[in-house]
Amino acid sequence: MHTIVYCSIFLMWEPTEHFLSSQNVLCQLATEEEDSATHMLVKHMGLPPKEYNVKVLRKLVWLLVEEVGESCSGLADPNQRCSCDSVLAASVACVPLVTCPETAPLIGALLQRPVTCDKAALSQDFLDAVSSAYSRKCVSLEAQAVVSLWCHNLASLEGAVMSLLDSVLSNPACIPHNLENTITHSLLPKACSQHGSIFLIVNDIFRSMLVQVEGNQTLLSLIHTFTICFLRELAALQPQECVSLKAFFPHTPQSLLAPLLTHPSEMAQEAWPEHLAWITASLQRLTEEEEEGNRGQCGVFEAWFLLVQCADWLEVANQLLVSARPQDCGPLLWLLTFYHHPTNRGHQRTQQLVAAREVWDHLRSLFLLSAPPLPADRLQSLAELMSAVPQQPSLDSLLVVSLLGNFAVFSHNPLSGAREIVRMVVQRSGLVREAVCVLNMVELRLNRERASSSLTDRVTLRTRALRGTLTHMAQHDTHTHGTT
Amino acid sequence: MEAIVKNVERTTELLAVSQTETVQRWDKQTLDRAFQWTQYCQHVYTRFHANPTVRDILEKQLQVTNESLRTTFHGYTDITFSDLSQCQHLLLVGLLNNAAVPSSVVKLLFDTITVGGKYKDATGHCIELIEVKSACKVLSAIYLKRSTSFPGPDADVLGMTLMEMLDILLSPAAGGSKVGLAGKLLDNLLQTCGENENFSGVVAAALLSRKNNKTAAATTKMASEGVSFHFILDWLQQHHSLLHNMCSTLPIGLLMDLHQQSVRFRVTYGDMLKQWGSQLEYDVGEGEWVQMDTTDGVSFKTLSDHYRSLLGACPSTKEDVERELTELKVADGDFDVRGLSVWGDLLSEIGQL
Repeated sequence: MHTIVYCSIFLMWEPTEHFLSSQNVLCQLATEEEDSATHMLVKHMGLPPKEYNVKVLRKLVWLLVEEVGESCSGLADPNQRCSCDSVLAASVACVPLVTCPETAPLIGALLQRPVTCDKAALSQDFLDAVSSAYSRKCVSLEAQAVVSLWCHNLASLEGAVMSLLDSVLSNPACIPHNLENTITHSLLPKACSQHGSIFLIVNDIFRSMLVQVEGNQTLLSLIHTFTICFLRELAALQPQECVSLKAFFPHTPQSLLAPLLTHPSEMAQEAWPEHLAWITASLQRLTEEEEEGNRGQCGVFEAWFLLVQCADWLEVANQLLVSARPQDCGPLLWLLTFYHHPTNRGHQRTQQLVAAREVWDHLRSLFLLSAPPLPADRLQSLAELMSAVPQQPSLDSLLVVSLLGNFAVFSHNPLSGAREIVRMVVQRSGLVREAVCVLNMVELRLNRERASSSLTDRVTLRTRALRGTLTHMAQHDTHTHGTT
Repeated sequence: MEAIVKNVERTTELLAVSQTETVQRWDKQTLDRAFQWTQYCQHVYTRFHANPTVRDILEKQLQVTNESLRTTFHGYTDITFSDLSQCQHLLLVGLLNNAAVPSSVVKLLFDTITVGGKYKDATGHCIELIEVKSACKVLSAIYLKRSTSFPGPDADVLGMTLMEMLDILLSPAAGGSKVGLAGKLLDNLLQTCGENENFSGVVAAALLSRKNNKTAAATTKMASEGVSFHFILDWLQQHHSLLHNMCSTLPIGLLMDLHQQSVRFRVTYGDMLKQWGSQLEYDVGEGEWVQMDTTDGVSFKTLSDHYRSLLGACPSTKEDVERELTELKVADGDFDVRGLSVWGDLLSEIGQL
């Protein structure tokens, strides 16, 4: 019995300076053989002890997985002891074993065991140990086991979300192209699709982050991409497992749910303007009602949050503005302004709309010109509009950068001309990184719509060319700054 | 071949050296290389243990090496060919028990490894071993069915290993030349652990391992699957006391599994039961059937338990058993009086469920 105690303590022990004094104990643990008869058999069969022990461990884990898998499933005789309390004992015993690779199947089985009765709870120490080991990447669990872990333990779910946010937001070089990969690998979208409660918690964390870091382009993009991954996982579920979307978006005004969750690629491009006009009209109604004090603040915020989650429509609005007629641009510009400034602080929206219209006019005239020289005064006023603080661009500048990027990509003037305009404006305003991000987002969206879009090739080439110019600019800039 | 012999010789010398003060000068590289050489020897064992010619050569060489090392090193223990399979473990034990090993080197054995290099170097070798052994101990303590389920994981692993070894020795590729070796193997193992429950459990596990592997068996294995199984049964027939031990001490459920799996075993088992039955004598004073020879039989109660289980095994078995017992009862005179025929009494005993 004392060996078991030794062993349990040992498994949680880390080598330190006290090592030398425990050397004897460790030697004993490594070399002792309790059962000499078995030992002789092992030797005569030519099995190295380590290999033998590993095989025995695997077999034991397999047997325990079977044992754990038997649930009590409502016994007819209430006096009969169900085997569920052994589950608790098993989880306690596994606490020091979470990092042992051979025991991973058992840990997965314990986590995924359906909770059929009161006694079938898992030890909290066990959940904490697994959660900690998982976050340190010391244990390899299969996807469903991880989802079950999150169901059992809220702290580990929150840890996983924060870790995802950390890894994405700490990357200063703008939206990474493997954002979708990173998100999918975190297993969070899968967990969200299987459990509505997890989705609600994740979104709560996103919401509070949004409030804390206003106008962070990477964060907005993360939330958008996350929602895309989530919807994809949801669509992949078996029909009988499907829950209505309302359960996943309980706070959102219902009138906006279906229109925004419909992806642009699911309808003809000709229908886009009308669809967007409808969305804009609903949002305008909402904001007016709120200002009149009819609803709580939540309505508008939730609507805006859904817009952030379904930001493909915003990209569509950007794209449509390139070719829109002056009489049609109103609702689209309103949408853009609303996205970048959801709260109408100080009733600035009217002014912001005027400014947006001005920007749009400038861009139209710049990009419709067929040949250089470019009017310096227009370039100057455009750059000024983008404000001079590169580290914290106000939303105004993000709006302008998005429009600029889209104009450059989707307009029909020669690439050289577009390139020149972008280069000059971005250089004067210093928003190189943001501009590159915008181009990344355009390309990602085009990739998603590959099947349905007709103008992808030309546009993709333009996007890449423009991004190349900007990246080159950025490198040159950092180089220059580095040497000064 | 020459190279292999030389290398084995060198490694044996290495093992001897590792237990002396020379290790004071060892560092990580030396340690890694030492472990790699012992790993090499283990491979040599695996490759050639079923090859009598090579085995012979190596054994002869080892004898020579042992002699010379015995004179050089005080307190030297001989290394035999079968020791080669445990080479790495021997090195580890030697080092751990050698006070002259520098602590930095010992520490290496206990460092946790993060990624890769598991089998290439010595780092963390010891800690993995302890981790695995401790995990086994901790987990077997919580395994509820430990006392009731059979065979246990250790017997199971040994049983499967035994079957694998027999498969190699008896495979068509070996051409039947190794049958003698197979027999010798079983004899050796029996001798090693004496006729105790350990070996019965292992043999039973070996026989049962085919059931678990049935779905995974490749067509090439199918041929030898029957061969090794039958070989063991044949061998058991010649070691009657072990067979008796097996059938009387193993849980009846296990015997039922085997019964279901193999016609051959059914016959063997059936014969065993009949033999036990015939060894019972009726004691008129006690009014009970008693064993004439307590060492080589079972009690009436045990025997009836066995027959009762057979009845429950499956419908066709039930019919067969009843028919058999009836025939035996008829041969004894077909009386319905208790005490005249053990078979008749068994029938009435198991008839009352």
